[in-house]
Order: sequence, then structure tokens, then C-alpha cells
Amino acid sequence: MAELSLQHIDKIYDNNVQAVFDFNLDVKDGELIVLVGPSGCGKSTTLRMVAGLEDISKGRLYLDGKDITQTPAKDRDMAMVFQNYALYGHMTIYENMAFSLTLRKENPNVIHKKVLAAAEILGLTSQLNKKPDQLSGGQRQRVAMGRSIVRNPKVFLFDEPLSNLDAKLRGATRREILLLHKRLKATMLYVTHDQTEALTLADRIVCMSMGHVQQVGTPLELYDSPNNVFVASFIGLPPMNLFDAKVDGDDLLIQQGQGYRVPLTAQEKQMLAAYQGKEIILGVRPEDIGEGAGFPVVVSNNENLGMNTLVYGNIGGPGGVKICAKLKGWIGHQHGDNVQFTIKRKHLFDKETTNAIR
Amino acid sequence: MNEEQMIRRDRMRFKKNKLSANLTLLAIVLDVLYFVNIYQNDAGSYYHNWIIGVSVVYNLIFMLAAFLSEEGVKNYKELYSIPLVILGVIQIVRIFILPWQAHSYINVDAGFPEPPMGNGQFTYLVILLIASAVCLVAAAVINFIKCNALAVHMKMLEERSAASGALAGKSA
Repeated sequence: MAELSLQHIDKIYDNNVQAVFDFNLDVKDGELIVLVGPSGCGKSTTLRMVAGLEDISKGRLYLDGKDITQTPAKDRDMAMVFQNYALYGHMTIYENMAFSLTLRKENPNVIHKKVLAAAEILGLTSQLNKKPDQLSGGQRQRVAMGRSIVRNPKVFLFDEPLSNLDAKLRGATRREILLLHKRLKATMLYVTHDQTEALTLADRIVCMSMGHVQQVGTPLELYDSPNNVFVASFIGLPPMNLFDAKVDGDDLLIQQGQGYRVPLTAQEKQMLAAYQGKEIILGVRPEDIGEGAGFPVVVSNNENLGMNTLVYGNIGGPGGVKICAKLKGWIGHQHGDNVQFTIKRKHLFDKETTNAIR
Repeated sequence: MNEEQMIRRDRMRFKKNKLSANLTLLAIVLDVLYFVNIYQNDAGSYYHNWIIGVSVVYNLIFMLAAFLSEEGVKNYKELYSIPLVILGVIQIVRIFILPWQAHSYINVDAGFPEPPMGNGQFTYLVILLIASAVCLVAAAVINFIKCNALAVHMKMLEERSAASGALAGKSA
């Protein structure tokens, strides 16, 4: 049982730079929360405040209803896994995993049982007598996780644990973390700037920008119904296309060159009733664009990914608004080709507030 | 064998034989104290002969051999118990060479109306050599016992793993 609650958390450094603004989050027992956002958005700072490695300037932090805002890191019963593994090079894997328990002066036989159990979970049994420099990056990260598991903490904290791994290993280790979470049913807080990790791992995602929480929700909620332009453009790969458009009668007018009209559905017309004649931001995911009679695009680049093709181009011709479409199959467009695209699904945002129009 | 003992044995698979290794290192330290004391208390010309030369060379050999054996016993190498026992016996034999002779040597003509080594120094050096020998022999015995226990444990694990493999094969 480990429920974590962050209430109105602020982080203000000594030089008056504020890194985190009014962070609120209730983490349920056994939930895997991913904090995602670009570099410098305050996600690692938030994690470090939860771990007790940074002071909380304002607000309260509760673990299972108990206020731990001022509790020292060592007494918080949380384990943190760092990006750089933080393993002791002169110790074997067994000794690395046993280290925290040895410091606590636990019974060596109990330590032994815990280390073997953790090694079994992580598939490290045959590596226990090796030194960290004899292991691959993925194995080292597993050791770092094993060191956390043996402590049996209430909350696991991961600070970009996969950033040092190559793409293939990152995918494999990501799946291991997910399996680990399912097996341990532990409360986990995971920080990453990689939206793929966020979407694949999280029960809920906290999307942050410049110290502010932009949206909290399930991966599908963030992908399907982004709260604002930032979330819309950050979640999804390739990012969402954003166009300035004007609500003009029953259509949206993309104001580029001679202008291109995109028809609105009845529901969209209802949502945009108050925006008649005004400018809004039209968001279209690349996967929501298809080939067909719509608006003309001149292809600038074509990336074949096997199952999909990413087509980059400009609406109306060179110099026009850039657009990216993710089309199914292997498509062999050439630079300069003229194609017609249609929009299957739209996301609408207020131009002034950048919030979603719903 | 109960579970506690089993786990204790199993731990040896992942932990070094630190007790034997540390006892050997302690023996080296005691030997260093021994020869530093002798060389510091050079009583004139008594020590200036071939015995002191042999002593210096032997101390170097002792430290090298003991250190190499320390690395061996740390990793549960049973054979390294043998040089440790030999070194331990030599430490006892050494008592009857330098400290003993220096403590009982009287030669008025050569300028030694009294022994060059007093009672206090003699006792101190004998204690150092005996302690060093005890450490070495203890390290050897502990290593021997642990190595045998580990070998038995590894054999048992192998048998158990072979049995479970055979069982899995049957059920498949």
C-alpha cells in the first residue's frame, strides 16, 4: 500500500528561479505515473523533491496520508533509479544489490535471500559475481533496479533510466520495467522526455512544460484529447500539424496563399459557434491525413518506414505551410510531386489561450 | 543441515573469503611491525652481518608470498592454504634465529657485555611472530574448511539442478 499525494508543490531556487509551479497529483497504490516533458520543464526536479533530494519550497507531500514534506530522503522508504546507474565499480553485482541492506545491518541470510529473489526476477542470477564494467548498459540498469527491489520500498522513482541505452536495448528494458511493475504491483514515478516511453509505460501521464502541469491523464486521453497546443504537439510522433485557420461559415479556412477550405462537421460547427469569423489553431495528426481530393501539397521529402511512409510537404507549393502526413504502406513520392491530402480528424484550439475547444 | 546453515553456505558463492584474506593481511602487518622494530633498534655492529641481509630478503619474499596467498584464499582456492601453513611454521622457526640469538648473545671482547636485545624487545618480537604465525595458520585452516564446504554445496546444487532438469524432461 503506497499512495502518494503532491499538494500545491512549488520549487523556488535560492536565485529566485521557480522550476515547478503549483504541482498537484494523487498517485494511487500500484500506479505507474510518467512525468513527461522537454528538458528543463521541472519533471526531474519534481521527482527529486519526492525523493527528498531537493527541498520543497511550498506545498505538502503525503505518503499514505502521512506528511513527509520535511522527512529526510533516507527515511522516506523510496528507491530511486538513476540514468547513470550509480553502481559501485569495485563491488560485484551481488554486493551492489546487497549494499543498502548491508548498511542497514540486516541479517546477512535475509539479505542473501532478497538479493537472489531480485536477481531471479531480473534475470541476473548468472551475473552476480561479475563487476559492473563486465555488464552491458541494459544489464547495469537492471542491477540498479535490483538494488531498488531488494529494499522493498513503498515507491519506486525512475529518473530517465533508459536514456543511456541504445534504441534496441531501450525497447527491451522498457518492456522489462513494465513486466516488473505488473509483477511487483508497486507505486512508481517515472521521469522521461521520451513520449514513446510515456505512452507505453504509463497508467497515467503528467505532461509538463516550463514548470507547469499541462495535462494529467491516461496515454489515450493525452493522445486523443490534448488539453492544449503544447500537449498536442508534444505527444505523438511525428508531432501534430498545426495551422492557423479562420472559422468561415461552415468551413475552416486555412489562410495560406489562395486559402484552402476544410469542411466542418455538425459537432465542430456547434463547438465553434462562438468563434465565427475568428482565427483558431487547427491541429491535425499526421496519421489523420489521407490522400484524396482536398488541398494541394507539393512533396518536399518522403521517408519510408516499412509499414508507413512519412510524407513532408508544403500546402500550395514551396513556401507554403509545412505539413507532414503518415500514410499507410510504402509510397514512392518524389521531391516536387503534387498530391492532394484530406483531413480525417481535426483538433481545434483557441488561438489566444492555446487551450482545446471542446 | 538447517536452512540457516544452507543459506550461509550459499552465500559463499557470492562473497569472498574475507576472514582468511584479512587474517593473512594482518599477519603481513605483524611481520612489518617485527622487522621495523628490529631495524630501528640496530644495536651497533651486532646486526651488521649476513643474518640481517637474509632477514631483509626473507621479509620481502614473505610479504610477496603472503600477499599472493591472500588473493588465493580470498577466492576460495584450497591449495593456497599450503603456503600459508609453511609461512606460519617459518614465522615460529624465526623466533629461534634473530630474536633468540640476539637476546642470548654476550661477547665482551666484541663489545657486547650485555645482549644487544633486551627482554622487553625480545618479548615484543616473539609475540609479533607468534601472532603472525597464528593468523597464517588460522587463515589456512579456515580457507580449507570453507573450500570443502563450498565444494560440497556446489556439488549438491549441481545434483539438484540435474534432478530438476531430468524431472522437467520427463514431464515434457
